[in-house]
Amino acid sequence: MTRIGLEIHCQLTKLASKLFCSCKAEYRNTTPNSNICPVCVGIPGSLPLLNKKAVEKAAMISLALGCTIPEKIGFFRKNYFYPDLPKNFQITQYNAYGPTSIGSDGKIEIEGKTIRIRRIQLEEDPGRLVYEGTSEKTMITLVDYNRAGTPLVEIVTEPDFETPKQVRVFLNVLADLVENIGVADPYLEGAMRVDGNISEGDGNRVEIKNVGSFRDVEKALHFEITRQQSLVERGITVLAETRHWDEARRITVSSRSKEDEQDYRYLPEADIPIVLIGNNSVEQIKTQMPESIVARRERYIKKYGMPAQVADVLSSDRFYSDLFDKSHNEKNAKEVSNIITTDLMGVADTREKKLELKITPKHVSELADAIMENKLTRNSGKSALHEMVKSGKSLADVMTSLDLGHVSDAGSIEKIIDEVFKEEEKAVAEAKQNPDTINYLVGKVMRKTKGKADPTTTLEILRKKLAG
Amino acid sequence: MVERKEIEHLADLVKVDLSEPEKYIKQVEQILNYFDSLDHVEFHSDDTLGIQIAKDDLRDDVYEPYGDSLIEHLKKDQNNFIRAPKMV
Amino acid sequence: MNLGISATEFVSQVREGAISVEEFVAKTLERIEKVDGKIHAFITVDSQNALEKAKAIDKKIKSKEKTGICFGMPVSIKDNICTAGLKTTCASKMLENFVAPYDATVTSRLKSEDAIIIGKVNLDEFAMGSTTEHSNFGPTRNPWNTDYVPGGSSGGSGASVAALECLASLGSDTGGSVRSPASFCSVVGLKPTYGMISRYGLVSYANSIEQIGPIAKTVEDVAFLLNIISGHDVHDNTTAKNQNIDYVKDLKSGISGKKIGIISQMTGDGVDKEVASATNTAISKLQDLGAQCVSISLDAVEHSIAAYYTIAAAEASSNLSRYDNLRYGFDFGTEGYEFKAFISKARSNFGPEVIRRMLLGAFVLSAGYYGKYYLKAQKVRAMIKAQLDEAFKKVDYLISPTMPILPFKVGEKIDDPLKLYLTDINTVTANLSGIPAISVPFAMSSSGLPIGIQLFADSFKEKELLQAAYSLQETTNLPEMTL
Ligand SMILES: [Zn+2]
Repeated sequence: MTRIGLEIHCQLTKLASKLFCSCKAEYRNTTPNSNICPVCVGIPGSLPLLNKKAVEKAAMISLALGCTIPEKIGFFRKNYFYPDLPKNFQITQYNAYGPTSIGSDGKIEIEGKTIRIRRIQLEEDPGRLVYEGTSEKTMITLVDYNRAGTPLVEIVTEPDFETPKQVRVFLNVLADLVENIGVADPYLEGAMRVDGNISEGDGNRVEIKNVGSFRDVEKALHFEITRQQSLVERGITVLAETRHWDEARRITVSSRSKEDEQDYRYLPEADIPIVLIGNNSVEQIKTQMPESIVARRERYIKKYGMPAQVADVLSSDRFYSDLFDKSHNEKNAKEVSNIITTDLMGVADTREKKLELKITPKHVSELADAIMENKLTRNSGKSALHEMVKSGKSLADVMTSLDLGHVSDAGSIEKIIDEVFKEEEKAVAEAKQNPDTINYLVGKVMRKTKGKADPTTTLEILRKKLAG
Repeated sequence: MVERKEIEHLADLVKVDLSEPEKYIKQVEQILNYFDSLDHVEFHSDDTLGIQIAKDDLRDDVYEPYGDSLIEHLKKDQNNFIRAPKMV
Repeated sequence: MNLGISATEFVSQVREGAISVEEFVAKTLERIEKVDGKIHAFITVDSQNALEKAKAIDKKIKSKEKTGICFGMPVSIKDNICTAGLKTTCASKMLENFVAPYDATVTSRLKSEDAIIIGKVNLDEFAMGSTTEHSNFGPTRNPWNTDYVPGGSSGGSGASVAALECLASLGSDTGGSVRSPASFCSVVGLKPTYGMISRYGLVSYANSIEQIGPIAKTVEDVAFLLNIISGHDVHDNTTAKNQNIDYVKDLKSGISGKKIGIISQMTGDGVDKEVASATNTAISKLQDLGAQCVSISLDAVEHSIAAYYTIAAAEASSNLSRYDNLRYGFDFGTEGYEFKAFISKARSNFGPEVIRRMLLGAFVLSAGYYGKYYLKAQKVRAMIKAQLDEAFKKVDYLISPTMPILPFKVGEKIDDPLKLYLTDINTVTANLSGIPAISVPFAMSSSGLPIGIQLFADSFKEKELLQAAYSLQETTNLPEMTL
């Protein structure tokens, strides 16, 4: 049996400041070493000042993953030398001497399977290394500390996954979850990083590091499982080691570094007092937590009678479910959910595309109302939506400029039907014989009106004329 | 008994080149032997000391840029990077 | 002009217009010029800036502008406390050129009260030592006899005050580093309660137990400085809130009716005969003032040295990791080196005492040993605190000699670190438990070497502690500095 465990590093990208200082949490697109202060580059004499909101957000993630939050949390130093680590230790949390990390012993259901969460800890991100030089001899390392001290939550699971697919589903759920809680944008570059560990049967555990993207996690795990299984088949023992994912060659490679043998010499970080969380705070944090994906799905089904599948799709996407919640009213909820799930989600399915959308809740709501009041056909509605998404113009403007107004007055429709009767004598005769072929004539009317004719009115008049 | 190998291992942990590891052997051993007395203390409680802070007294999440250009005080190259040696 | 006046006297003389700040500072600089070659208390002297500041303050006083309560008092600062624009070397090769980009909280509080930072003073490298011999810039010597050590690690602070090179100094006390030089140099030194004074800008050695502390000629001066530098600081989450106490007010309340416990573990075996006799004299003088003295046993003190050095070494090994010469440090190019080789080479410039403690720290924290050493040491801390809590239910103060021995000669004990560690037996208890302790100069030995008496009080009882220290000080009649 394959057993897979994960360690996920998730930056709290929605915070304003770093974990221990007032520098900006968002370090991307800044010139090298411009987002630094004495604390985050470890200038002698500086002291860490823990970010309150980071504690609260990490507590939210812990609660969402069913973890227990202790009464008191503490911080530890993990000592190792690396140029991206300005103090040559990382301030993190550690449970070996008693649980003091923000979360522990949680669980989450994924496709009917329980994944246990071992612990959740709050820690600082190191800086970034840039390698310069072509040959190994001339190679030097350039360090940018803008990222140093960015708040990070590490989520450690038990080895409860059996397949890479389960891992992928879990990661998608987790990404939706942190986005939904409003703690992180999981799609920012480097915002969510995953390490895995795999063992086959009673075999040794292999750590997989350096996996760049979610998609690659599945690939790396697949490769590693195949590699281990073929070793086992040939009677070769799998070594306990750390392997790095080689993105270019799509294989895992043994890393000769002694990283796993390192002795981190953990010790309590005395510059940060023990933080009293207390039951009151936990209750307070619970009230501040946004509605969970599961709860939202339930609400959609119960309150609006949405089909389970639609509710699923809508509730797990924070952006579109927010849009739904802001645009619908009692009357048009179903139509709004239709517009969003069948039309809009197809138009913009990536983060970048979502950001480009010029549509507002008002647009969506008016569009739904117009369709319900028969001012627009569904088809025309779709054209209007596409235009609003691009231009941000009001529905009225779009209907005028695209000439999408619904033709529902009997006079106008009758005129068009008369034209069709002249052009389609054969079809008219056939329809008189066989009423089932009437749809052909409806189609012709629609084509002539560019889909604007009200289908019910059209059908009514057609029937009358054929009978007469 | 502390041996040269052990001193070298400790020196590797804290990243210090020791020109004469022997110089440290006797004293480190003597001091560690003294520390061993801690192992014989009878404790009636598992308490440890430590100061505490209420969560609400922690720093508010506000971005305040560090006024001074700190990098100017550090060893930097012309592109404001810190230069480190090669890693391998 | 008498440089031997106290800081408090200086303030009143300047206010009365009896002396000018510029004149006093100029004379102080002359004094440093004259005697510091023999004592070597200073690493950096900021003459020009000190004189300019002095002139500016004189001008403020003349034009009746609001002046800070220090009125241009020249103070020295231990060279492990950050001062913007002035080097902060920690007496180490690793930071020989390091200029902090910011002021420590204590520095800025002193500056905002118009104290003049006259210079930075010597210490054992990164404050690790009790003799000020472990400085990369050479040892500091005792102004009472320059063949002798001034105590440490704040030896530059103690010596500079005793030698009349400044009116007061800030030191740091991790295991006795303020009180030891105070005792050996015959000045007053206070280790405040942990959390009383901001450590922001104090270069960490053992951050869970150390505090900045004032050193001055009199208890009044120490109370005066404590008013300025103590209190909550937003830059240090370990500082305590709501400590707005005036330590100068009611200083002379006396100790009549108070109970003092004599710590048997700190006054018995191993204490120098002259020191023991001075302690007994101190006790009887306090009794004469109406205090009641009883013997108190704190048997956890027996484990205090092992616990202290375990914790200090562990924290030091971590705190000193950042000195890898990449971001700051001495000139040493990275070309041709691989990372590990580079930093190991750079870090071999730490002195032997620092290296020794880092090795010990790595050992006690390494996998599998945490429970055997570090955790036990932490439990000893709690045990000592519990015994002190019991003691303070019975008594208001505790008393002991500050140092069990008299000052010794430079070089005399440098080769036997463990023996030297054991001389901290009377001081480390206050650090491990967090309680305040003060060393008051009390007597001179037959050979003319100072003896200090230590008083302890419960956490955040500095006001009461200073009252007792003042009472004790008033019973003494000590010689003037003749150097
Ligand atoms: Zn910062």
